[in-house]
Amino acid sequence: MSRKFLETESPAWVTEGLITEAQRERLLARYPSDAVQAVGLLPLLGSILVGLSALSVVAANWQRLPTQLRLGLLLGSLVAAYAGGEYFLRRGNRRVGHGLIGLGLVVFGASIILTSQLYQLVGYDISGLLAWVVVGVLLSYLYTSQSLVLLPILIGAAVQTYCTQALGIFSYTIMALVALGSGYRWWRRPDTLVASVLAVGLLWQAALWVALSHSKITWFFIPAMLVYAAGDWHRDRPAARALQGPPLVAAYLFALGLALFGETDQYAGLLRPPVLAYLGALAAVFALSVAGKRQQGRLASLPDWLLLLPGFYLPGGLPLAIATLMVLYAHAGSVLARAHRSGEAEQLTLGTVLFVIATMVAYFKLTWAFLDKSLFFLIGGVLLLSLSWYLRRRNAQRLAAGVASVASPGSAAASPPSPPKPLA
Amino acid sequence: MPTRHTPSHRLLLRLLVAAQVLYVLGVAGAGYATTAYGQHIALATTPVDLHGLQYESFVRLHYTAAEAPLTAWRGPAPPQRRQAVYVLLTTAPDSLASVAGVYAQELKPAAGQAVLRGWVTDVYAHTLGLRYNLERYYVPGDSPLRLGKTGPPLRVQVSIAPWGQARIESVRLLRPTAAR
Repeated sequence: MSRKFLETESPAWVTEGLITEAQRERLLARYPSDAVQAVGLLPLLGSILVGLSALSVVAANWQRLPTQLRLGLLLGSLVAAYAGGEYFLRRGNRRVGHGLIGLGLVVFGASIILTSQLYQLVGYDISGLLAWVVVGVLLSYLYTSQSLVLLPILIGAAVQTYCTQALGIFSYTIMALVALGSGYRWWRRPDTLVASVLAVGLLWQAALWVALSHSKITWFFIPAMLVYAAGDWHRDRPAARALQGPPLVAAYLFALGLALFGETDQYAGLLRPPVLAYLGALAAVFALSVAGKRQQGRLASLPDWLLLLPGFYLPGGLPLAIATLMVLYAHAGSVLARAHRSGEAEQLTLGTVLFVIATMVAYFKLTWAFLDKSLFFLIGGVLLLSLSWYLRRRNAQRLAAGVASVASPGSAAASPPSPPKPLA
Repeated sequence: MPTRHTPSHRLLLRLLVAAQVLYVLGVAGAGYATTAYGQHIALATTPVDLHGLQYESFVRLHYTAAEAPLTAWRGPAPPQRRQAVYVLLTTAPDSLASVAGVYAQELKPAAGQAVLRGWVTDVYAHTLGLRYNLERYYVPGDSPLRLGKTGPPLRVQVSIAPWGQARIESVRLLRPTAAR
């Protein structure tokens, strides 16, 4: 809660008798003014500028410096960053401490790259940069810092990108290090931001693997849904949903693409991997996901898997487009139904948006060719307006009912980010 | 587990930092070792564009060995873009290496031969475009290249380590008399 919010809102609380004046002052004292913290940033900004000037002097003269001096500079800044980080951590300044430790890790990677450059040395495998990822993962276990957990995930994605693009190999070791190393770190201390970044990082690596191996792009969804299934087994619900977000978005975009372009058999032909192998692998991941959902009591989210129905095996053309549209509608409907049952405002919005998108795609597909264009836009607009009016009315009713059942009169409905408790 | 400033925690961090320092020193050592124990070959380049040196610290080398006739391809399947390959070079003391064959599989070079690893960049109708990852040459501050205005062809001394690393040892003008 921000100080400013407290200052503007709290007098009204006192007049309404929610809190006393004394309580108001205690609340204000609890959240000190931000101005003090802003002044505290000045030394940090100053030191960043000084650091940048030193960096630019070194960078401008880098090629002219003797080899040993360059190596010494790299190693010196590496040790200095870590030592500084430990120093600030011991003094209790966690933010600067973790920042410097992260800087040390970045300097380590830069040292590997610049040292190879120093000797004009090329390697033909990834062992050089693999060490960077290993150190990153190990560091993330040594500290409770979100950024130090995020760093090896990002470094892993970057190194994997370099590997596939420059060396033409995919490193399963890096994939495993990020998935198991950073993944287990997240598993022990769940966090929604880390979950999303972890999922995006792993999906990125999976996409690189598909691109490099010239596989059918549908194979991408086997690792992607493995990430999703991992979320099913985690007890922390928000973190699990954050992990499952990126794979679901990818699956949804894929289904949407299929609905829009699936009519041409040429596109659908690009998607068809060997039936038995693909369906077998998908079924295995599905079983894993269902087992996780059952164990955590989340079978209600099973319709997520609708998006993974392998409709692209259908003959291309209208059957495929219509089947995909049905799937999109069924999925949007399932999200809406789930949201209505739990009364979560965000889920309701999401379901509404998905429903509207499915309708737009269906409308576009079925009428673009037949209708006069002005009529097409007119009917489409009217359709969307009436749909939005209807869905909004339903949502408002639903949320109002939810609020009433919690029996807390007041302005709870005005704050959608804190939804009313689900009905038991 | 994490962030207890216990002695063991500090020890772990110190070990980790020491390992990183040793690792970077190891990379540097690999540079020296490649020169000391590697096989030395000389590659010729086409004329080099030196204008980039005003903005960047490296020049882009284009080796004559970066192009090989398609008849030099030795592989079970036709070459593909981005495929990793082993380029067999014939060498002789004091002469430039030339491509004898491009292999999809690793092979042992005979006497007077060397194997440099590379990647297929393009497959044309009659030729193969190759890349060796040695194309960027970071020009040292005291190099005569920094003084030259014209772009001469260069002779690049490369050493190939038996454990599969390679480095540019030195770069000289291909025809010292014809320069400038």
